[in-house]
Amino acid sequence: MTFVASNVTKTFGGLTALSKVSLELRPGEVHGLIGPNGSGKTTLLNLLSGYYRPDGGAITLEGLDISESSVQQRASLGVARTFQKPRLLPTLSVLDNAMLGGWRDAKAGFFASAFSLPSVRGDEAGLRHRAEELLHGVGLSRVIGRRANLLEHAEQRFLEIARGLAQRPRFLLLDEPAGGLTPAEIGHLGAILQVVRRTGIGVLLVEHHTDFVFRVSDRVTTLDVGSVIRQGTPEEVRNDPDVIRVYLGA
Amino acid sequence: MLVALITGLATGALYACAALVYNVMFSTSKVLSVTTGHISMLGGVFGAWFISALGWPVPVALIGSLVIGAAFGLLTDFIAIRRVLARSDEHLWLLSTLALATMVQQAAGLWWGTEPKPFPRIIPQDFSVGLADQKYWLPVVVAILMAVALEMFYRRTLYGKLFVAMSEDAFAARARGIPTERIRALSYVIAGAMGGLAGFAAGQLTFAYFALGLTLTLNGFIALAVGGLGSNLGALVGGAALGILSSVATFYVGGEYHQTISVGLLMLVLLLKPAGLFGAQTVRPV
Amino acid sequence: MTPASRKIALALTVLALVTLPWWSGDLYKLHLAALIGAYWVLIGGLNLVVGYSGQLSIGHVGLLAIGAYCFTILAGPHGVHPALAIAAAGGLCGLCGLLLGLPSLRLPGFYFAMATLAFALIVTEITLAQGDLTGGGIGLAVPSLPAPFDTPQGSYWLILAIAALVTWLTWNIARYTWGRGLIAIRDSVVTAQAVGVPVFRAKLTVFVASGVTAGVAGALFAVLQSYITPDTFIFELGLFFFVCIIIGGRGHILGPLLGTVVLTALPELVAPLAKLGTFFYGLLLLVVVLLVPEGIGRVFEVIVEHFRPRKPESHVVSPDLDRLARAIASSPSDPR
Repeated sequence: MTFVASNVTKTFGGLTALSKVSLELRPGEVHGLIGPNGSGKTTLLNLLSGYYRPDGGAITLEGLDISESSVQQRASLGVARTFQKPRLLPTLSVLDNAMLGGWRDAKAGFFASAFSLPSVRGDEAGLRHRAEELLHGVGLSRVIGRRANLLEHAEQRFLEIARGLAQRPRFLLLDEPAGGLTPAEIGHLGAILQVVRRTGIGVLLVEHHTDFVFRVSDRVTTLDVGSVIRQGTPEEVRNDPDVIRVYLGA
Repeated sequence: MLVALITGLATGALYACAALVYNVMFSTSKVLSVTTGHISMLGGVFGAWFISALGWPVPVALIGSLVIGAAFGLLTDFIAIRRVLARSDEHLWLLSTLALATMVQQAAGLWWGTEPKPFPRIIPQDFSVGLADQKYWLPVVVAILMAVALEMFYRRTLYGKLFVAMSEDAFAARARGIPTERIRALSYVIAGAMGGLAGFAAGQLTFAYFALGLTLTLNGFIALAVGGLGSNLGALVGGAALGILSSVATFYVGGEYHQTISVGLLMLVLLLKPAGLFGAQTVRPV
Repeated sequence: MTPASRKIALALTVLALVTLPWWSGDLYKLHLAALIGAYWVLIGGLNLVVGYSGQLSIGHVGLLAIGAYCFTILAGPHGVHPALAIAAAGGLCGLCGLLLGLPSLRLPGFYFAMATLAFALIVTEITLAQGDLTGGGIGLAVPSLPAPFDTPQGSYWLILAIAALVTWLTWNIARYTWGRGLIAIRDSVVTAQAVGVPVFRAKLTVFVASGVTAGVAGALFAVLQSYITPDTFIFELGLFFFVCIIIGGRGHILGPLLGTVVLTALPELVAPLAKLGTFFYGLLLLVVVLLVPEGIGRVFEVIVEHFRPRKPESHVVSPDLDRLARAIASSPSDPR
């Protein structure tokens, strides 16, 4: 049950952002994706999550070609993601923001909701409980009732992760989740990712904090100007001369 | 039928001017202001007042209308745009310009009256000249001159090039040290003057009427959408198409379905070519 | 407010509203209350569109007009039973909402607003043009409702009941998953997509629902006016509906409700405001947008929070990993 980008190419006007890139996400695995700015990391994440369509190659989930599937369709297939700049609903509470991840599970339709049928009330209570537990789990116990626009940066990032987990995903795609976090917070993030992968969720970790990536990932892919320059275990990638030259430095 | 064509061309020219005003304001602020039509309304109403009530000579009244238009454009920027753009909510500028437009329209109605009043002659001309009447060709001449002047402004002058830079990437422009706030204010002043001029030139066609603002905002927008947002040529073509189609259809079907026909045209174009006839591509959201 | 005190406040409010015909004084005030109720039937539904999904429809007065004329024409010359005519008005306007929403809800905000404006102007044009059907500029007399609703008190209670129903229905939509989804569409479409909200379908659903309430409101409004002409449904009325919601506060039910009450009653009670009319609404809208964009409701929230004893704020993130593991495991993703 893998989530695969096979030989994907993506161009914008005259610019080739990705050229024949392949990457495989496996359940219970953290796959790190690193590379200099402009190497195509976020483009690849957008291709996997459905905001872009590939110009060449394919995106498949469990062998099913989902290259043309919408973002919403992929969400229903179990794909969740966070964003480079956290996107929250500022007027709602932290809890409501997390509960937004439960949309896909809301079996009740418009009419059932309007008439407040028992099934709707039951779903709502269940979702609230689950979201609360997830928020306690990622460490936001103190701010569950706070308005989201009052959160600090780290809290926003962890809230996005809680929302993603509320979607009951099979794959969690994280876009630079460590950006702006203190070393202690990055430590928490790493611990959370270990828990997540142990439950069988496959994680894509797009990041600039390379030490962190090498520490928590099972496999790492390095991109440069739209192509893969090395793919393998953290040790292999960290010691690869091309990766060092292009990205890690002497 | 010929009268219908000529009338349509003239009204279309006014719509084209409104579309040009939209373009100029949009280029520096990415905002489509509901007050666009109201600028021309003020140009017409004040122009009539300057000439008829205050007895000013036509050139002075014209400058007066330009100043009024420019001032209202600047007011739009200060009140409705400046503070609002700083916040992240995208909808707010729609609300603020809508509020300002409503206030201006109602204030004009209270001051000027709710009846359309005739606009005085600008150039001495007999009323019996028929199709050569200035009320037909003044708006057309002004629209073409405006579009040409804008193109020259964008290509030949420093400020024009700054406008273009801002419209392509405001963030990069600011990073390069371009004073984006001042440029935007300048663009709203220019757009306001353009609107005032258009209202003044078309006054004899539309009469000085307080309710002109909203219909011109809508029809100017239809011309803009048909021609393509961001294209000055599109503004001219869209305006002409809308004006002529509307007028000719009115000639055949009767004036009762005027608005329905123009919106029908809009819907048709948007369905076939959403970016408009000469429009540019849209920006990616993520 | 504790849940108990909230229930008491609600009960008292309901009591006051039901007994209003006896304590309101004259028939004029009763008529005003009924008018507020009819407006709220429309505004309550429109609130989901404007306040929750963020679609700035300024032309809903067109749907009000269609509902009013539909009721009047059916219940009048065609002798349809008024209850059926009201339902038909709701149904027709729901359909009109569908036809209007299908092409325009995909358009960006300004385009959509202009499309609804054009819709309102077109409705006026057509009602003037189709004189045989609508009486043209002269208008139509509206048939009254059957007993016991043919008295001012009777029609007030009918409107109160329908308004209460609309309030309850929209409150339910707002407080469950749909409410969060709609607010996501309004504040962050990208996020809405990411969690799986079918953006266009959701926008269309609430737009059609708002059409139904507008149609029913139109029928009730026509009964209150007892005579309708195209001039009854000017664009400024649609603007008024819209302003009630923005001023009351987007994302709330109570705010726009109070906004409707205040903005309808204010010009009646404060004479100089009546002369300013729409200028006053425009000014209020501008002030709110510039100073308190979240609406007056938010102002009260801020004041209340100010007086509440504040715990020292902590921003430390401290995960509970066992709890996290249990939470994820308790609801695994489907093995599809």
